[in-house]
Amino acid sequence: MAQALGEDLVQTLELQDDSSSLGSDSELSGPGPYRQADRYGFIGGSSAEPGPGHPPADLIRQREMKWVEMTSHWEKTMSRRYKKVKTQCRKGIPSALRSRCWPLLCGAHVCQNKSPCTYEQLAKAPGDPQWMETISRDLHRQFPLHEMFVSPQGHGQQGLLQVLKAYTLHRPEQGYCQAQGPVAAVLLMHLPPEVSPPLCSFPLPRGSFCAPTQEAFWCLVQICEVYLPGYYGPHMEAVQLDAEVFMALLRRLLPRVHKHLQQVGVGPLLYMPEWFLCLFARSLPFPTVLRVWDTFFSEGVKVLFRVGLTLVRLALGTTEQRLACPGLLETLGALRAIPPTQLQEEVFMSQVHSVALSEQDLQREIKVQLARLPESTSGPPPRPQARLPGAQAIFEAQQLAGVQGGTRPEVPQIVVQPPEEPRPPRRKPQTRGKTFHGLLTRSRGPPLEGPPRSHRGSASFLDTRF
Amino acid sequence: MGNRAEEDYNFVFKVVLIGESGVGKTNLLSRFTRNEFSHDSRTTIGVEFSTRTVMLGTAAVKAQIWDTAGLERYRAITSAYYRGAVGALLVFDLTKHQTYAVVERWLKELYDHAEATIVVMLVGNKSDLQQAREVPTEEARMFAENNGLLFLETSALDSTNVELAFETVLKEIFSKVSKQRQNSSRTNAIALGRAQAGQEPGPGEKRACCISL
Repeated sequence: MAQALGEDLVQTLELQDDSSSLGSDSELSGPGPYRQADRYGFIGGSSAEPGPGHPPADLIRQREMKWVEMTSHWEKTMSRRYKKVKTQCRKGIPSALRSRCWPLLCGAHVCQNKSPCTYEQLAKAPGDPQWMETISRDLHRQFPLHEMFVSPQGHGQQGLLQVLKAYTLHRPEQGYCQAQGPVAAVLLMHLPPEVSPPLCSFPLPRGSFCAPTQEAFWCLVQICEVYLPGYYGPHMEAVQLDAEVFMALLRRLLPRVHKHLQQVGVGPLLYMPEWFLCLFARSLPFPTVLRVWDTFFSEGVKVLFRVGLTLVRLALGTTEQRLACPGLLETLGALRAIPPTQLQEEVFMSQVHSVALSEQDLQREIKVQLARLPESTSGPPPRPQARLPGAQAIFEAQQLAGVQGGTRPEVPQIVVQPPEEPRPPRRKPQTRGKTFHGLLTRSRGPPLEGPPRSHRGSASFLDTRF
Repeated sequence: MGNRAEEDYNFVFKVVLIGESGVGKTNLLSRFTRNEFSHDSRTTIGVEFSTRTVMLGTAAVKAQIWDTAGLERYRAITSAYYRGAVGALLVFDLTKHQTYAVVERWLKELYDHAEATIVVMLVGNKSDLQQAREVPTEEARMFAENNGLLFLETSALDSTNVELAFETVLKEIFSKVSKQRQNSSRTNAIALGRAQAGQEPGPGEKRACCISL
């Protein structure tokens, strides 16, 4: 029995239904009549009805009303009641409201309002031929089993083309990364194409009867530049850093699993890039993907680490599971073959939210691993400090930019050196009579009280921290 | 070539598929290991793998085939992909000359990361699309000969030469391994054909402990 290829679980279920090979059927005769699209649009998918654990209709209604209320006074909500937003995101945004909430959470609507003509200019401009060829070649293979992306001329594939092309024009030094495809596809699935006339006088691009939403573009921008900078560029330097961070977190939180992975030679770059780059869009059942995205937009990259740690624990957390994986292939196979029942949205997300990893823990580990990264011969160093950890930070940054009267906050493109010093102290350090042994980093930050002052001449190194 | 149960094998040969995005690596993999082909197989992001156990003579060989993204920027995160590979299929699309023109760059990438003794086959895929051919067979064959590479043209779509391509590479690896075993007194002395952890380790051999990343 050959090892399974990494495939998302919706596809696996379809293979069980249909013994013919995946491509040949649709190649010759289109998706067969028995292949209905499920409620998410996946042809032959199994999400026909809300699964077990799906909340009852009146609870959904209640949540919808809460969100309508919160989003109608968004600035007030974010300034004063972010905690409520965070809690509601964890419970899951009602499907009908994702199209309203996602752009608000990630700040895309502010970007769009500040630069109302940018997207249309990008959409009208011709793309770089090299990128256009690469993007076009991939269009039919981003979400091939979803009805929106089946037809080459449909607004799924065309929308993808427009959004991905626009990004390469918006950030030519970044260009196109294949993982942006699935990310943009999920955005396009939820953000309906524009039907109202554009704000500016530029005509719509020729040949498109339905312009893909600007919001999908700006959401993609926010993901690539603010949530996950350094992921999608030519060097993917942040992916390498986060792989080290992930491994370090495994060592701390799941030490036996970590040891097993070391022994069989499975490093994080063998499984984690697809997870993180695609925000799990190819690795989890689709309803669960949406739940992950709800909290990701709210709480940032920390969510990706929590989901990853949960998956690793589900696959290899017990002794029996590890014994069943004597080697590298079996271990990688186990990571891809977690039973779908364990990935069902409620069950899974409650485990994700209870992973013992706080934002501070994560930042601390990132600092440690950043310092340990070898000098890379090519490419810039990762800059995790450019990452904004979620909706609240984005809101604050955009508010600040608004107050300062600038355009949307520019992500600086040039870095001379990553900052090495710790944050400035809140109080002046007690320096009288002390000797300094250089900057010392400790795993926990300095306490708020200053060091004791009475040990002149016998100051231990611990007293010289800031 | 027949199939054997996965647990019952004497050798594990790791073979990597490399080449530009869109040339057909994933479909060569699925055709060989599952006899499947899809026009709409997803873009490969990260690393994929699949296995098939075959008989070479009386030896059962588990072919461990690795597949990864072809796009340039993934090079940064897939360098460990090559570790322990004893064979490689360097694939180009014979209907797109650009994918052949960069073959030298891929060879360099391969030799930078893999062992020098790795068995390499140049594969011109999509031979079913004869009318759209942009790379003449002779040109590619000459290049392969001049560079010490095996060569075949394949079609993952209609299966032409897919089995033969993998079989040829595996046989070549096997014959190298056999020669080395004859030459060296210790079993599992050298990288080629090294048994994976869980199999028959040689005397005093440690379990595979190379941390990949």
